[in-house]
Amino acid sequence: MKCYICAEEGKDSDAVAICIVCGMGVCKHHAIREEIEKWEGGYPFPAKKVKTNIPRILCPPCHNALTS
Amino acid sequence: MISLAKRCVAEIVGTFLLVFFGAGAAAITLMLAKGEAPLNDFNIGIGYLGGLGDWLAIGLAFGLAIAAAIYALGRVSGAHINPAVTIALWASKRFPTAEVVPYIIAQLIGAALASTLFFACAGPDAVLVGGLGATAPFPGISYGQAILVEAIGTFLLMLAIMGVAVDKLAPEGFAGLIIGLTVAGIITTTGNIAGSSLNPARTFGPYIGNTLFGGGNLWEFFPIYIIGPIVGALVAVFLYDWLTSE
Repeated sequence: MKCYICAEEGKDSDAVAICIVCGMGVCKHHAIREEIEKWEGGYPFPAKKVKTNIPRILCPPCHNALTS
Repeated sequence: MISLAKRCVAEIVGTFLLVFFGAGAAAITLMLAKGEAPLNDFNIGIGYLGGLGDWLAIGLAFGLAIAAAIYALGRVSGAHINPAVTIALWASKRFPTAEVVPYIIAQLIGAALASTLFFACAGPDAVLVGGLGATAPFPGISYGQAILVEAIGTFLLMLAIMGVAVDKLAPEGFAGLIIGLTVAGIITTTGNIAGSSLNPARTFGPYIGNTLFGGGNLWEFFPIYIIGPIVGALVAVFLYDWLTSE
């Protein structure tokens, strides 16, 4: 799979990840990796934060849409 | 995990909501019924407005406040808002020993604050007529009967908590609604027997308020609302564990 953003710019680069939201293939340069906190449990027990975060990879358009 | 201090604040807030809106509904019902037909042994004022519907209304006030507390604070502290629930979870090794006393103190503080602020909002009649929604056995109900009915009511409450929330197979998202409605149903049936407290903190708040603001002295009945709910919750938790063990 090729990077969609690079293809739009007329470049040819291999995708290293897929946006979890839209499924777009993205190269390392365009992939945006975020760490998402994970909590487990809940009523009737206090929720606990899991030690390890969950990685989430987005493309720039989806990242902008979700954070703007 | 969120700090113990924050979780205790959440328990204070949750129990406050329960007592302010739940016990407050009982007090308001008595205030509304003041001046209605003469009282009799089985009717102290709650029941004149809508018969058993008065108890349903009071039960729903409790139930909806409980549902709100569970959905709002459940992930913070667990929203026990009831010492009997905390003790039952501790006894079944689901809750740490070191946190039992802080939780119970927080619940009692929340209940006392609720009755104090309810008095501040509704005025002297809330104490003199409504008794701040305090619970006591109705005329003709013995101490033992009151303990028994409180135990049976809390048994159903704790059984619902186990099945809807504690059990890993429970469907997600329904706990607050189902537990709130369960409490409403229990109060509708058993409210006119011993007040249907199901919760030592729920009775503690109005008792403290009555003591502080010139209401009746009901402390002789307080053991009913400690023994009954705790026994009922313990029986429920251990029965549920036995029923679901392979």
